[in-house]
Amino acid sequence: MRFLVELFATLLIALALGLSSAWYMVAAPRIGYGVGAWKAVPAVSAETADPYTRARVARTGEIVLGAGEGLVFIAEADDEGRGLEGACDYRLSGGTPTARLWTLSVVDDAGEPPASLAGRTALTSREILRDADGRFEITVATTARPGNWLPSPPKGPLKLFFRLYDTPLALSPDPNMRMPRITRGACR
Amino acid sequence: MMRTLAWLVGALLLAGIVHIVTVLGVPSFAVADPWREVGAIAGDGVFTRLPRVAPGARTLPGLDPAMTHTACRFSLDKGPVRIRAEVADGYWSLSLHDRRGMWVWGVDNRAAEQKPIDILVASHVQVAQLRESLPDEYEDVVIVDWPGSEGFALYKILVPAKSREAEVEAALASARCSPAGS
Repeated sequence: MRFLVELFATLLIALALGLSSAWYMVAAPRIGYGVGAWKAVPAVSAETADPYTRARVARTGEIVLGAGEGLVFIAEADDEGRGLEGACDYRLSGGTPTARLWTLSVVDDAGEPPASLAGRTALTSREILRDADGRFEITVATTARPGNWLPSPPKGPLKLFFRLYDTPLALSPDPNMRMPRITRGACR
Repeated sequence: MMRTLAWLVGALLLAGIVHIVTVLGVPSFAVADPWREVGAIAGDGVFTRLPRVAPGARTLPGLDPAMTHTACRFSLDKGPVRIRAEVADGYWSLSLHDRRGMWVWGVDNRAAEQKPIDILVASHVQVAQLRESLPDEYEDVVIVDWPGSEGFALYKILVPAKSREAEVEAALASARCSPAGS
């Protein structure tokens, strides 16, 4: 009797541990390296993808950037480590790594882009305004702002996606690379 | 004490096996893999425009809202598939993904130097047959050696300004993916 109880408990523990650890590893993208508040999602290809990435893509159906195509950075917190909130304004400033094109977009908790009257859910390197030195500043806020404005969801946690296309970083990270700083402004 | 420890070690070993089997098994049992997601929106053997990323729009997860996309599912069962498309000025990228959604092959506007896209996707056997006697019409066509027999193509173009939307739409509409020779 004692043996059966122990066997049952062991199987239960094994199942719970195995499944929960598998879920944990598959649920979120594996993070390659971080630059400031930004975390790089390693590019994947059919030949080099690890089993966790394969499982995640098969489960979510999401389209991933290919290894030669570019690199995606995700930010869920500002430079001081506070989680990004729809209730706050954020200022993105500074430089970007070398890439032929980059796009910045924002999604809410459910991964949906915000409904915006501007009908715009992304900013690209081709359209932003820069100062004489080539530097730029982007405001992420719910209501319209002068200059470079990216509309954000009115409330709840949010995520910023910074996609670099055709960049040498896709193949090897550069330790000196610069990503825009994320500074929190006023909160409602 | 020793007995409990032995059971615990056993539980950990078993948990490791459960972990590995689960992770490796997910792609075979997934119900929302990219192949099915693409099939739900886009047709087989024909490029279908994907809705722009917008609140509540049914489109593929993970797409860049700054791009417009068109997708096509293909199968190599009836022979190689030829993918052709006009290109737009500015950034575009064509990527080929396997049955599990993994990126296999791609080309962008810099690599193609603004020439129209013209590629032939063929399985290992079909590539071997093509090597033996390559029809003249395929001389300037890029041949992609495809793992497996199914996949999908995703063609995306950056939309920079309203004034250039028509040009981008025309390029997306020109995309074809059909069995070679037809």
